[in-house]
Amino acid sequence: MLFPKVGRKEPRLRFAWYTVVAILLVGIFLHLLPFYFMITTSFKSAAETFAIPPTIWPENPNTSAWEFIFNVTTANSTSAQVRDIMPQPIGIYARNSVIMVFGALAISLPVTAFAAYANSKLQSGRSARWFFLFFIGTLMLPGAVTLIPSFLLTRNFPFPLPQTPMIPGTENPFPTVRIWDTPWAVIIPAAFNAFNFLLFKGFFDTIPNSIIQAARVDGGSEFNIFRRIVFPMSIPVFAVATWFQFSALWDSFLWPLVVFQSSDQIPMSVAVYNLINRFASAGATNSQQAMMQSQAMTELLDAGIGWPVLMVLGILQTIPIFLMFLVCREYLLKGVRLRGLR
Amino acid sequence: MAKVELKNIVRNYQAQLEDTALIEDKNRPALSNINLTIAEGEIVSVVGPSGCGKSTLLKVIAGLEFPDSGQVLYNDFDVTHVEPQKRGIGMVFQDYALYPTMKGQGNLHYYFEVHQRTQEEMDQRTREVAQIMGVGFDQLIGQNTTALSGGEQQRVAIARCIVRDPLIFLMDEPISNLDAKLRERTRIEIKRMLRKFKVTTLYVTHDQQEAIFMGDRIVVMRKGNIEQVGTFDELYYTPVNLFVATFIGSPPMSILPVSKQGNTLKIGDTSLEMLPISLEDGAYRLGVRSEGWELNNPQGVMMAVRHIERIPTEQASFIHGTVGGESVSVLAPLDQAQVSEIRVMPKWDQVYFFDASSEAALHTPSVPELF
Repeated sequence: MLFPKVGRKEPRLRFAWYTVVAILLVGIFLHLLPFYFMITTSFKSAAETFAIPPTIWPENPNTSAWEFIFNVTTANSTSAQVRDIMPQPIGIYARNSVIMVFGALAISLPVTAFAAYANSKLQSGRSARWFFLFFIGTLMLPGAVTLIPSFLLTRNFPFPLPQTPMIPGTENPFPTVRIWDTPWAVIIPAAFNAFNFLLFKGFFDTIPNSIIQAARVDGGSEFNIFRRIVFPMSIPVFAVATWFQFSALWDSFLWPLVVFQSSDQIPMSVAVYNLINRFASAGATNSQQAMMQSQAMTELLDAGIGWPVLMVLGILQTIPIFLMFLVCREYLLKGVRLRGLR
Repeated sequence: MAKVELKNIVRNYQAQLEDTALIEDKNRPALSNINLTIAEGEIVSVVGPSGCGKSTLLKVIAGLEFPDSGQVLYNDFDVTHVEPQKRGIGMVFQDYALYPTMKGQGNLHYYFEVHQRTQEEMDQRTREVAQIMGVGFDQLIGQNTTALSGGEQQRVAIARCIVRDPLIFLMDEPISNLDAKLRERTRIEIKRMLRKFKVTTLYVTHDQQEAIFMGDRIVVMRKGNIEQVGTFDELYYTPVNLFVATFIGSPPMSILPVSKQGNTLKIGDTSLEMLPISLEDGAYRLGVRSEGWELNNPQGVMMAVRHIERIPTEQASFIHGTVGGESVSVLAPLDQAQVSEIRVMPKWDQVYFFDASSEAALHTPSVPELF
């Protein structure tokens, strides 16, 4: 509570209270405005999107953009232009996103939680401290630094090298797996999340050792202790970790763009970006380029893809994160309070 | 039920500053060369100042920590490196250590769950334990443990411990988090239960009253060493050294530097005639307990009174003051008048003599034969 309930009648306190409420309302308004425009624009006609001043409410609300997106079911059913820019139906991209995100979550949450638990409760003294620093140290590296080694890693997994090394004394290279252009290329690098490690470790440190010891005396194996006693205690923390990683992965763009090549592998975020890129990129340095761009633009518009369609894609991209928030909300707030996050 | 034997146990501190009460303790082992035998069904309490290693001793017996050298034997069976899961012990912790996400019942059932026992056995044992734990226990275990008060939580924790019929009962300051009144009641309850079960018990506490009440024998520890093991009377009347003598008894024994010449004892400038004691002449430290002083003896030493503490519940008072700069406490009747000085004389059959430089006890009264 920002203000105590007592003394609300005090005029100055009341004024302060309403000031805070007003500021918060402005904040909410500013945050919701883009969503409002995104939703209303998706029901506008392509021409109306460029009206000056912009219309607050669509003049002739229609669902053609929505229909367009859901009618691109197979690449064959529409024109060549559409096939070129959106080679797969929207469902495929959504499926790829789901596989990528939930696959990563299914591996990353246990791995990270176990690592943090081991570091917090099973290791002690100097080794625990060094392991902790090592894991946290991975947070210090900017993503751009690890981009190229990670990329090489996906080409010749598990070697982060341009060429596979030879088995010493022979002419044969080590066996490698190419996880590039498969969901594993996203899942494996996400299998350990240093930020969530910090989150889990911070929570596990607050669990008294005596509870773990009591469970050991009771005869629980280390895994059983984790499953039956530690896990139920840390559900809010799991919710926070799930939420963080879900939103990060769902919206992740650069890495999927790098590792996915085939059109039937790319997730939603990359598909939407590709489309927006085609549509919004402008910046020709000579007349020929400008000509080609306007040509491409004409093709898109002919195929029926305008801003309303992009808005629909944007909404579709946002919905899962919103749903995930609803699912985790109860625990999220608990967890945020618990950890004092944000 | 089992006999527990510790042989030459050494346990070094893990390099964890936060677990160590005192910085100076970091350079010595938490337990150095501990030898102790606990007979079947015996209740032994362990006392000592903070950081003396009493909790570590308990953890070594439980297997929660492994000794760096030495052996732990249960019934002559070497369990030194057996995991705590396989030892069949029960342990009660100072902070209760209940599983917060389970109800009281779940706490009791966890043992059966991980040991894959039958539902019937679990229910039957739970019922039996509820009977032993007495009135209202059934309601207690139906609630979330976080909703229980400290005393109730401790009852559940003790029930969780006895529900499995443990070989050995280990209690790590189980009631020191309770308030005074509840502590007294719980103490009696635990004692009653231990009598009933006749389980070998190790009871760690920092409160000597509790240690006296609970234990058949008392272990006094200091800095990772066992100083003395014995009944309360043995520790009280025949302490092996100055530490045990001052640690046991409240208020603590008064220690005065003295010099002995024949049957004359010099305390500061005052010479006292004493009964013959078979000690060579020389400098000693004299120990006198609060009840070992005779008040208003004209031949006694002058004591400067600091304050008089009246204890109506015990029908007595303590006169706290100094003799020659050393703190002295003297037992007096409840109606002791306010004075600024008083002459006191040691009762010569109740005095302790300690070496002037080392802590060794050279002369102690013998254990009185009461019955």
